[in-house]
Amino acid sequence: MKTHTEEPILLRLEGIRKSFGGVHALQGVDFELRAGEIHALLGENGAGKTTLIKVLGGIHLPDAGSIVIDGREVSMRGVADADRCGIRIIHQELSLAPNLSVAENIYLGREPHRFGLLNRRTMYQRAERLVADLGLDEIRDVRAEVSQLSVAHQQLVEIARALSEQARILVLDEPTSALSEAETEALFAALNRLRSQGVGMIYITHRLEEITRLADRVTVLRDGESIGTQRTAHLDHAQLIRWMVGRDIKDHFHRPTSRASSLALEVNGLRAAKVNGVSFEVRRGEILGIAGLVGSGRSEMARAIFGIDPVQSGQITVDGREVTINSPRDALDAGIVLVPEDRKLQGLVLSQSVTFNTALPWLKDWITGFMPNERKRREIVERAIRTFGIKVADPGQTIDSLSGGNQQKLLVGRWMEHPPKVLILDEPTRGVDVGAREEIFEIIGSLVEGGMAVVLISSDLGEVLNLSNRIAVYRDGRILDRADADRFTLENIMQLLTGAQAA
Amino acid sequence: MTTLKRMLPLIIAIVAMLLVFRIFVPTFLNSGNLLDLAQQISINAILAFGMTLVILACGIDLSVGALLALVGTTTVYFLTTGLTPLGLLLAIPAGLAVAALFGLGNGLCAAKTRMPPFIITLATMLIARGAALRFNEGRPMHVPDSQDVFLALGNGRLFGVVPVPVLVMLILFAVMAILLHRTRFGQHLYAIGGNREAAHFTGIPVVRTEILVYVLCSLMAGIAGMIHASQLYSAEPASGVMFELHAIAAVVVGGTSFTGGRGTMYGTLLGAIIIGILDKGLNQAGVHFSLQYIIKGAVILGAVYIDVRRAK
Repeated sequence: MKTHTEEPILLRLEGIRKSFGGVHALQGVDFELRAGEIHALLGENGAGKTTLIKVLGGIHLPDAGSIVIDGREVSMRGVADADRCGIRIIHQELSLAPNLSVAENIYLGREPHRFGLLNRRTMYQRAERLVADLGLDEIRDVRAEVSQLSVAHQQLVEIARALSEQARILVLDEPTSALSEAETEALFAALNRLRSQGVGMIYITHRLEEITRLADRVTVLRDGESIGTQRTAHLDHAQLIRWMVGRDIKDHFHRPTSRASSLALEVNGLRAAKVNGVSFEVRRGEILGIAGLVGSGRSEMARAIFGIDPVQSGQITVDGREVTINSPRDALDAGIVLVPEDRKLQGLVLSQSVTFNTALPWLKDWITGFMPNERKRREIVERAIRTFGIKVADPGQTIDSLSGGNQQKLLVGRWMEHPPKVLILDEPTRGVDVGAREEIFEIIGSLVEGGMAVVLISSDLGEVLNLSNRIAVYRDGRILDRADADRFTLENIMQLLTGAQAA
Repeated sequence: MTTLKRMLPLIIAIVAMLLVFRIFVPTFLNSGNLLDLAQQISINAILAFGMTLVILACGIDLSVGALLALVGTTTVYFLTTGLTPLGLLLAIPAGLAVAALFGLGNGLCAAKTRMPPFIITLATMLIARGAALRFNEGRPMHVPDSQDVFLALGNGRLFGVVPVPVLVMLILFAVMAILLHRTRFGQHLYAIGGNREAAHFTGIPVVRTEILVYVLCSLMAGIAGMIHASQLYSAEPASGVMFELHAIAAVVVGGTSFTGGRGTMYGTLLGAIIIGILDKGLNQAGVHFSLQYIIKGAVILGAVYIDVRRAK
């Protein structure tokens, strides 16, 4: 079903080059997309994916190389050219007006009108027809306000908008990064339908599983060059990873050996918003994985334990002593650290420097009264950078300028100035490239081997399964099952999570 | 020194403005004139110091002008009704208490509710103005000549040279600069202004810090109100109109980002000096008052435009 070799070639890129100042962002990219094909583009952050998209979208003018569409070379001199060629890009950050309806968003800026007045009826009719034609049943109600939709369905609105103007080439930039498993399924189903209608799609992702499941071919980009292309029918994972990082890395991730000893954290009958009576314990020197879908209340559980959301009832015990947690300060004093799920919204002060962000939790160590000790501050920052191998040219640079992986490593690493007893990691590898992901796993592993208790929350079930010593399966604010990790498989976790199991 | 580098354009602007006004007003750079200038800057600068903290925390405080009038009237009320020698010891704490109370109200509303600071302080501005007008039926209250200590606050000169308001301003500047740039409170403030949510997740006492910011801002308005009443020899319940806007202008001209998290106390001092030079210079150069507004508006627009472009 995934062979489209006989389909015509929609788009061909040959030797695309682009540099900014002295930096070569793209240095020879070859790429080909057929009609009715999903062609995945894989590469670490900084490999040139974003630049390539911008070249396709007419935002950047390539320095060299040719763009051939339908066998004819085109010059992409601006966004209007890309539009004319039927190229539509769906960026990672959605660009919808949340207060408007689905139909209004689809026709935003091109509203049907009569005598200068908005013609709502026509707009809704057209939108309904479009959505039906595309088979996007999930957003059938085109009068619904976009803010009421799930993120996945909002993504479908973006897609509908893109395809409402004769798009033939759809570029999707990490569309599943904010989606739950169920939402991902819905999106994949929609993309499969579009494929069967002959739309060519360039699909950018970090996740190998998605490529296997969805794409027809995959091209790897590294350092601004296209390294190679494979058909997913006979995919060689090891080779893909080698292409991406330019070196061999150990087969995915390995579980740190458990040295579980005394209880570090004990949670008993915890109730809070979206948390309906949760009990579990974590020992020193082990990783407890929380397997749950997005929206299941697992982040809320972490927030309640950390004192962000109010606890309604239940006990939290750290190292055998019951603690009362009303604020993050209380949690930190009790020895609990939470690295939150949204790095940019909840983790970092983006406008400030690496130094500022790294030293922020430890103000007491370097400021007494009105005497800041810049030397001590520098030491704290340098220790974190050195210990966790964070790539920083100058600690004075804004943290915004670091890659996602380095930001994440810093968010974990900065707490290790005074290591906590319990470390709760919520989605520690979201939006992080493969290499950095590996490094984050190594950091977690070494912390656990040093005797820390880690609670790992992740949407990536493979990650939970491979990394955890014990697993708690979490659904609707409750723990359904918990046991040693060996007792679980991806299949039986999925069954529990989706409620597919009869008994 | 990066701070100096960032302040350089402001310093250059100040020097340039002084030289330009020297052309139109030959006596502009005389020491007497410069001391007058410093005296005129002091009230706006003191208000702007407090406003800097609030704006850094992503807030705004529109109530400072009205609060300045209210604290002025409260203080003078206690001065005139109390026993003369004890009057001052009672009046100043009473004035500061009123200021702190308003700051507490603003801060609690801003930190604990989802009401926007613009609306909160718009409301407390009206409340403060109304409260000020309650005194003496809205008529000015004269400060008796016997209150020489209070009158010295606005009119005295240290060693017969340095105006007391300038001295107060410099002391408050030092206090606020140290508070902002050398204490944990200052770091908390930058973190909250940059990303409130992240600050909370880092264990920073967000609510307490925000309340303190508004209290400090109101206290600055209170001190400015006492100086103002002293300078006028009377408490004017209708005074201080638009003062909050001049303070905001000084803050933003000084390079503090209106979206919070970025800015310095040094910048605000220079911003207040720029606004002050402009005021005095245009006045002395005989520019029609209507034109003065237009020029000031243009300068603020230009300064902020340059700052925003540099930040990119």
